[in-house]
Amino acid sequence: MYRMGRRLGLLMLAGLLVVMTACNSNNSTPSANGNGDAKGKTTTLKFFHRWPNEPRNSYFNYIKEEFEKQNPGVKIEMESVLNDSYKEKIKVLVSSGEIPDVFSSWSDSFAESLVSSGRVEDLTSMYKSDPNWTKTLVQNQMKSFTFDDKIYGVPFTMDGKVFFYNKKIFNKLGLEKPKTWDEFIALLDKLKASGYDTPIIEGLQDSWAVGHYLGTMNQRMMSPEVLATDYAGGTGKFTDPGYLQVLKYWQKLSSYMGPNATSVNHEATRNMFIAGKVPIHYLQFAELGYLKDKPDLEFDYFNFPQFSEGKGNAEGLTGAPEGFMISKETANKALAEKFVKFIVSPENAAKFQHDVGSMTTVIGAATKENSPPGTLEAIKLIQNAAETTPWLDNAMDASVADAYMRGGQAIAAGIETPENVIKEVQDAAAKLPAVKK
Amino acid sequence: MRTRRTIAPYLFVLPCVLMLAVFVYMPLIQNFFYSFQNVSLLSGKSSFAGFDNYRTLFSDPVVGKALINNVKYAVISLIFQVGFGLVLAAILEEEFLRKVSTVFRTIFFIPVIISITVICLLFSFVYDPTEGLLNMFLHSVGLDAWAKPWLGSGDTAIYAVIAVSQWQSIGYCMMLFIVAIQKIPRDLYEAAKIDGAGRVKIFFSITLPQVKEMIFVNSLLTITGAFMVFNEPFILTKGGGPGTSSITIAVLMYQNGFVKDSMGYAATISLLIFVITAVLALIQTLSFRTGKGD
Amino acid sequence: MASKLPVYRLIVLLPLLVGVVVVMYPLFWMVSSSFKSYDEIFGAVWSLPSKWLFSNYATAWTKGIGNYFMNSVIVTVSTIAGVVIIASLCAYGLSRFRFRYSKTLFMFVLGGMMLDPQVCLVPLYKLLQNLNIHNTYFALILPYIAFRLSIAVLLIRSYFLGIPKEIEESATIDGCSVFRTYSSIFLPMSLPIIMTTIIFTSYYAWNEFLFSIIFIDSDKYRTIPSGLMNFKDALSTDWGVLLAGLVISSMPLIILFIFMQKYFIQGMSEGSVKG
Repeated sequence: MYRMGRRLGLLMLAGLLVVMTACNSNNSTPSANGNGDAKGKTTTLKFFHRWPNEPRNSYFNYIKEEFEKQNPGVKIEMESVLNDSYKEKIKVLVSSGEIPDVFSSWSDSFAESLVSSGRVEDLTSMYKSDPNWTKTLVQNQMKSFTFDDKIYGVPFTMDGKVFFYNKKIFNKLGLEKPKTWDEFIALLDKLKASGYDTPIIEGLQDSWAVGHYLGTMNQRMMSPEVLATDYAGGTGKFTDPGYLQVLKYWQKLSSYMGPNATSVNHEATRNMFIAGKVPIHYLQFAELGYLKDKPDLEFDYFNFPQFSEGKGNAEGLTGAPEGFMISKETANKALAEKFVKFIVSPENAAKFQHDVGSMTTVIGAATKENSPPGTLEAIKLIQNAAETTPWLDNAMDASVADAYMRGGQAIAAGIETPENVIKEVQDAAAKLPAVKK
Repeated sequence: MRTRRTIAPYLFVLPCVLMLAVFVYMPLIQNFFYSFQNVSLLSGKSSFAGFDNYRTLFSDPVVGKALINNVKYAVISLIFQVGFGLVLAAILEEEFLRKVSTVFRTIFFIPVIISITVICLLFSFVYDPTEGLLNMFLHSVGLDAWAKPWLGSGDTAIYAVIAVSQWQSIGYCMMLFIVAIQKIPRDLYEAAKIDGAGRVKIFFSITLPQVKEMIFVNSLLTITGAFMVFNEPFILTKGGGPGTSSITIAVLMYQNGFVKDSMGYAATISLLIFVITAVLALIQTLSFRTGKGD
Repeated sequence: MASKLPVYRLIVLLPLLVGVVVVMYPLFWMVSSSFKSYDEIFGAVWSLPSKWLFSNYATAWTKGIGNYFMNSVIVTVSTIAGVVIIASLCAYGLSRFRFRYSKTLFMFVLGGMMLDPQVCLVPLYKLLQNLNIHNTYFALILPYIAFRLSIAVLLIRSYFLGIPKEIEESATIDGCSVFRTYSSIFLPMSLPIIMTTIIFTSYYAWNEFLFSIIFIDSDKYRTIPSGLMNFKDALSTDWGVLLAGLVISSMPLIILFIFMQKYFIQGMSEGSVKG
């Protein structure tokens, strides 16, 4: 009898183990095998980036394979998710300590929030110890990853957002690049009168696309000091009437985008621009690669026009580099640095330029031959930009940015007023000190 | 002898109780603690917040908006899934359809077993403003004025989202009603027919009262489901857009927790969901136990 | 026959057929477009593919769906095994023994039914991180098991209660241990209800979305519902391949349904798995 009781317990345990082991073999303990320092063993480097889509995906697959080939015994464990999902995932991974050895990051406040976890490696010495390598990068791009005089990232892609326009349409109608907001609106009216029902469009279902507009418009409108105070967590009030005015201008501008704008995504509207259906689209230089797919599209671009009452720098450029960070907890720091340097090496940057069609921070990687038209000019524009502004969602706390982006979307859909939206932004900003420590 | 008698049953029950305790009950209780804290995943820090999260909950206009959307969800689902689902079931159980009813049944039930992710991705093709099936269909039959940016307009977004759920779930309710109707004694119908009752009269005087229990169960299930809707707005309108016009309470919880990193507030919202769904579930469980069951 | 068709039948049949079209057409479109090229999907919306691109399916499978599919199989099968074993053990304990806390424990188990998984999202997430199983198969399997147990116990217990006492007694006389009675008499006798349990558990585990997008970070462990979202992002405009992926993802449960309709309906109605 007694024996039976024990057997019973054992059997039940066994039953549970069946469940557990059923999947154990496939569950190759992902967190445990990051460090195979021992000689002869493979060393695994975990790499997490945000470009699962083509053509970038193929490029990173190539990088992974090439690096593994050149470094026998090294295995790159690569993962990727797109955009908003990446934003959420990487934050969680960094905070939970399951941090990948090498990972991509946006700049500025986004990077800063990752750095604040204390788990991101300070790369200053990596730059200092190898001045020859440091020289290969466009110097003004490092500042977006510099906090308290320490550099925490290696910028890789370089970007800026401007209005691209269809040259054929502009020439046919005798239109010129607008310099001021009023000229811009007049231009849109003219296009409309000439039969372009939606002279400009944007995929406003993607809330980040709304953010890109509002970020630039805020920068143009406000003086840098006011902006800095309001964007910083805990001190933001957003009471300056300029913010409300920006939303009113946004209301005006989005009215030209037609009723469908809030139900499509950025990719769809970019395709409309490429197909020549819409004359103007706000695009990143990083998207130049898509434009080359259609050779008969003639395009040019102009910077965001300035408001007559604007206090911000009219020559400022919105756009920020993206780059790579290294975990402070990595067991293979030297290898991680080597890998990052491998990605941003002139040869691979040139390959990226050629395959993907967007710019890197590596000097000389872009040539007339390997780049879509307009690239070299764009690089010059970024290098000489009087001021660069990060994307709105990288520049402020996520909850304030969310209020801005959803609000902007609601304004475009005609279901919210600028007054209400700015109030929601103010409320979100006011809650910050209470919500975050 | 006695030791075995006392230990054996506990050993049988133990794994189950353990699983429930760790993965179901403990989180529920922890929710309660989190709701009094500011929890940030990113910094890993948490601090005592008192009733702050509750104050936010009651003053947050989006909570109200989300709840209204959930109520719309519930009402429309009641009409379509429970109402039409019952009618559909009654029709399919009609004598003259007996031979083909299995085919119909299967057709209406197929959407139920397709993953909601698949369905939502499919319907983003249906709703596309320029190249979507729905608008193209409207254009091709000359109803151009009806074509709309379904998911992008504040007026239609929530209804477009709700419609997808109806499309998917009506077959589920229908199936439950069919099961219930098949249990109704046939002689009741025979007797009514002999009395010369019409079809509509038979439906109201026999079918309806006989499936009362199932109507009740279906209604509760549908309402509970309506207060937990997450996938449809999360995928179709990218988290309840435009603005917050198609947001639901579960999406709001997700956004606060995993986008804005306010885990404490997210836990508070989930307590609200708990209260709503637990009340509904309690009603169901109690009535199950007192009722004759089916 | 047709001439005898009364008006009533027409009135009923017409809306019924409209309903069939409304339900079936999007699915039909999904399947037929999954064989089309990008240009044809939008260029020739209503027609069948001019060239059947079976390659879309191969591409979809190799570009990620295959991986998600296998993950879903692993998670679903493990969840089923866990639910059936743990729930039947518990049901046996609760139905064949009379002991002090049996009532309380039964209520404890039943109470789990009142809780919706999403209510526990935040603490569960933290718990999985603390247990160090976040972003593994266990991060899905364990919660999935836990949230299906209550209903499974309820169903299996009531089935066990219906098994006559005499069978158990004769087994004991034959010298069967308690566990043997459970495993070689009760379990086989309860096959119908076990099938029902398997069906509603697989339905849940195959389609669950919220946990799978939050508890899993890496593509390696992603199941179909969350994997599809990533799949779509990665493809950008390769719609034919995306649609092929959608079709592949739906097939297992549809096949299961066609072959086990009876259990399916029973499982769905008793398991109240809607959500």
